[in-house]
Amino acid sequence: MAVNPSARSQNLSFPADGEWEYPITAPSGGGLSCSQTSASVAIYGTPAVDEALVFSGGYNGKVYALNASARSQNLDFPQMRDNEWFYPKTSEVIGAIVGSPVISEDAIYVTSSNGKVYCLDKHFGDKKWESDVLGDKLWSTPCIEGDKVYISTFDGHLYALSAEDGSITWSFAIAYPKIGFVSSPAVYEGTIFAGSFDGNLYAVEIGESEPLWNFTGGNCFWAAPVVSNSTVYAGCLNGNIYAIDATNGTELWSFDVGSPIVVSPILVDDSLVVAAESGNVYVINPKTGIGERIRNPGNDNKPTINALVQASPCAQEGIVYIRGQDNCLYALDIEQGRVIWKFPLTTQ
Amino acid sequence: MAELWNLIILNPMLNGLIALSSVLGGSFGLAIIALTVIVRLILLPLTLKQLKSTKALQGMQPKIQELQKKYGKNQQKLQQEMMKLYKEAGVNPLGCIWPMLVQFPVWIALYQSIMRALATTPESLLNLFQHLYSWGVVAQAIPLDSHFLWLNLGSPDSTLILAIIVGGSMWVQQKMVTAPSADPRQKSMNSMMLLMMPFMFGLFTLMFPSGLSLFWAVSNVIGIGIQYWITGWGYLRRGTSAQVVTKLGGKGGITKRP
Repeated sequence: MAVNPSARSQNLSFPADGEWEYPITAPSGGGLSCSQTSASVAIYGTPAVDEALVFSGGYNGKVYALNASARSQNLDFPQMRDNEWFYPKTSEVIGAIVGSPVISEDAIYVTSSNGKVYCLDKHFGDKKWESDVLGDKLWSTPCIEGDKVYISTFDGHLYALSAEDGSITWSFAIAYPKIGFVSSPAVYEGTIFAGSFDGNLYAVEIGESEPLWNFTGGNCFWAAPVVSNSTVYAGCLNGNIYAIDATNGTELWSFDVGSPIVVSPILVDDSLVVAAESGNVYVINPKTGIGERIRNPGNDNKPTINALVQASPCAQEGIVYIRGQDNCLYALDIEQGRVIWKFPLTTQ
Repeated sequence: MAELWNLIILNPMLNGLIALSSVLGGSFGLAIIALTVIVRLILLPLTLKQLKSTKALQGMQPKIQELQKKYGKNQQKLQQEMMKLYKEAGVNPLGCIWPMLVQFPVWIALYQSIMRALATTPESLLNLFQHLYSWGVVAQAIPLDSHFLWLNLGSPDSTLILAIIVGGSMWVQQKMVTAPSADPRQKSMNSMMLLMMPFMFGLFTLMFPSGLSLFWAVSNVIGIGIQYWITGWGYLRRGTSAQVVTKLGGKGGITKRP
């Protein structure tokens, strides 16, 4: 679904200018059912947007490229002349896609539950390459830096792949004990950061075989950390957001948001915005670790938004957009510290 | 209530299952088998009590049938005579039910543990962390290796092998304890039940993650073993109802074991 913030702030009827929705479905049936029907496809990753094209990976094992213009006109999918496509182009599927697709130049990169990374042509959906099987299943979002694709795996490996052909150029694994990486990787100035299943955040210099440091939280670092100005900001399932010195792993500050953090924080201007799973959203000074909760517009005793938050927020021009588990989109003005509108994402 | 359930029953079993997987070389399939055996052993006294009660009740069938013939039209009298019979034989007709009821929560917890530990979707993996202890042995096992023999424990078995094992073992187990009846209606009902449950579980095996089906299969096989220990092959080898009644009665259906 494409939502126009201006139209939503004016509470215009949907779809307003530039707005559209398109149901991604897949054939279902089998089992006890005799007839085949179509069912909505679950989408876990955040779609990637490149001008008019929106790329999304489905849990049904297909990658989709949708064109905003074609979708606005509600044309049949895919409109090849508008660079719409799906991959694989046959009725076949790759493994379930959980991580977000990532765009880099003319290619998009997706990970699959079949353990492979796929590089597809952005305009036509042709496969440029697929990697070797890198693990039992890949649920992480790849990170592209220069001509390398970085991946973290559940079986405890970090990989650097050539963006050109998908060959492995470097790999790292924790020697002992054997611990898997749960979060997607973040890369900053030659160091890769990822959270592990045993509640540690690891920093590994690319090309090295030993970790630079590891930081122990009270639980897992489920979401990918964010790195800026040599500081790693990592949300933990124990409800704390930690600021850690990227060079040596020292804790600079921590802030308790009261419930698990399952999505990455985002930096908006000079603020760090953290969404707790409970629905509370905090605006924190990234230097001092002092922050405030954005209040619920209707009831101060309730969380900022009346729904769980398990989807990554995004920001534009000082406004943070968060999808709640109540299937509503919330817009929060960070400077004013308030929820400015809410829009239900179920129009049909 | 849900928190209490998680704290006392589900979380210990779930973490135990994952720790077992770690100890058994990371094989979740072996962990399911081991935990099923352990739980079966812990519940053995209750199972034995249940089986003995069932056996005693079955041994009384000839006398019950006699009473039914005699007082079939007078239900009140029939009930009185039956209660008298139970009393004389020292048998509680509900004696086979309460051990079964006590076992139910444990089986439910085992079922939930397997389903949670498999964590086949992102949200189920996230949910799993809310139930894990901070044991190193648990963290090392996550995420669990879902491959075991030819199975992907997180998906239904696409072959029919496991469905046949589950359905077949359930049929054998039921056949061992289902007393043939001289009453045609009862006989027909027994035959239907004998086929329906194994068929249904065979069907479930094709629909549910095979980790759960593995648990059913192992549990059935252990059940057959325990049953064999108590009654031998029971009704699996026996023929007519008359023979059954005679043999079971003669073997000491309602006589107490030393």
